[in-house]
Amino acid sequence: MDESLTSPAGVPTRAAQLDALIPELTPLLWHVARAAGLGAEDAEDVVQGSWVCLLSHLDSIREPRAIAAWLVTTTRREAWRVAATRRKTQLADTDRLADIPDPRLSPEDSALLDAEQRALWAALRTLSPLCQELLRIVAFVPRPDYDAVAAQLRMKRGSIGPNRRRCLDKLGQALQDCGGDS
Amino acid sequence: MSAQLNSGEPSDEIVLGRIKALFEAVDPAPPDLAARVRFAVALADLEAEAARLVEEAAVEPALTRGASEESRTITFDSTELTIMIRIDANADGTARVDGWLAPARACRVEVSLHDRALAVEADADGRFAFPSVPRGTIRFVVRPPAQQAQAAQQAHAGPDSPGPDSSGNGRMKTVITPALVLLTAW
Repeated sequence: MDESLTSPAGVPTRAAQLDALIPELTPLLWHVARAAGLGAEDAEDVVQGSWVCLLSHLDSIREPRAIAAWLVTTTRREAWRVAATRRKTQLADTDRLADIPDPRLSPEDSALLDAEQRALWAALRTLSPLCQELLRIVAFVPRPDYDAVAAQLRMKRGSIGPNRRRCLDKLGQALQDCGGDS
Repeated sequence: MSAQLNSGEPSDEIVLGRIKALFEAVDPAPPDLAARVRFAVALADLEAEAARLVEEAAVEPALTRGASEESRTITFDSTELTIMIRIDANADGTARVDGWLAPARACRVEVSLHDRALAVEADADGRFAFPSVPRGTIRFVVRPPAQQAQAAQQAHAGPDSPGPDSSGNGRMKTVITPALVLLTAW
């Protein structure tokens, strides 16, 4: 990081502290928001909002590696809140739930995939929404952040450890059922 | 893929790696999202004062450089500092930026680009120049000179250091301008 990005007190400004983390963790947060079912625009807003919100919480986060966990939790909570609002609005407007696109998986995307990925995709779709969400999130958590993120999710949503095990096992089973794990 | 695997097994990591590759293929994060987050964070960071755009004008073609494209001047204002910018088109498609700070200060001036920043030092008269700035969304950041010396001494301050407090020491605040778009032609 550019060491000149400091406040007059000689301490890096809050924005400068985040400068290196932003490119590292933003993709993760995108997938957290999308896994909650948000459209692209809402997902971007929620991700930006989480980072801005982090500015005022930096002082209370002692461990640098706890930042990822804080961001994931904040993004996930806000994404679910926005997603629920959207669903409510759409239901009130049209009461046609089937018209709401599922941003997580869409058929035209399968053209981008090879056979192995299509099998993985099909297997993922058989899982519960919670498993789909958790696996997508943990797949993007950088290794050094994994323990902190998992711990944080455990506090909020029951324990992710058993969830992770359960979801991975179900995925493995689904891959076998679909004609073998290629 | 066995149900007996413990969490942390290498095969779990392989599966998670494949899930990651899958979603990177079908639903990647927008490539400019991180850059927009940076802008949002920089602006929201109250350590810096946001300058206001007070005046913008197209001017006559830059005769001195023989450029045929129009130039423009832009003035930003903050409580302590006025930043005047003149932008001229370079023949290679980039833009030349000349600026003046008033009152004159020897500050560090940065142009924050999509993915990086260019930095120059303003001279004692408050003048600075960026000979070649790529087109796109840019933002100017003017930092007080005292920050640099202290930064060199304290470059190892941890990222979890207590929140900085720049108030009350009489020094100039960092000033950030609103984003400008340098188009290929204006």
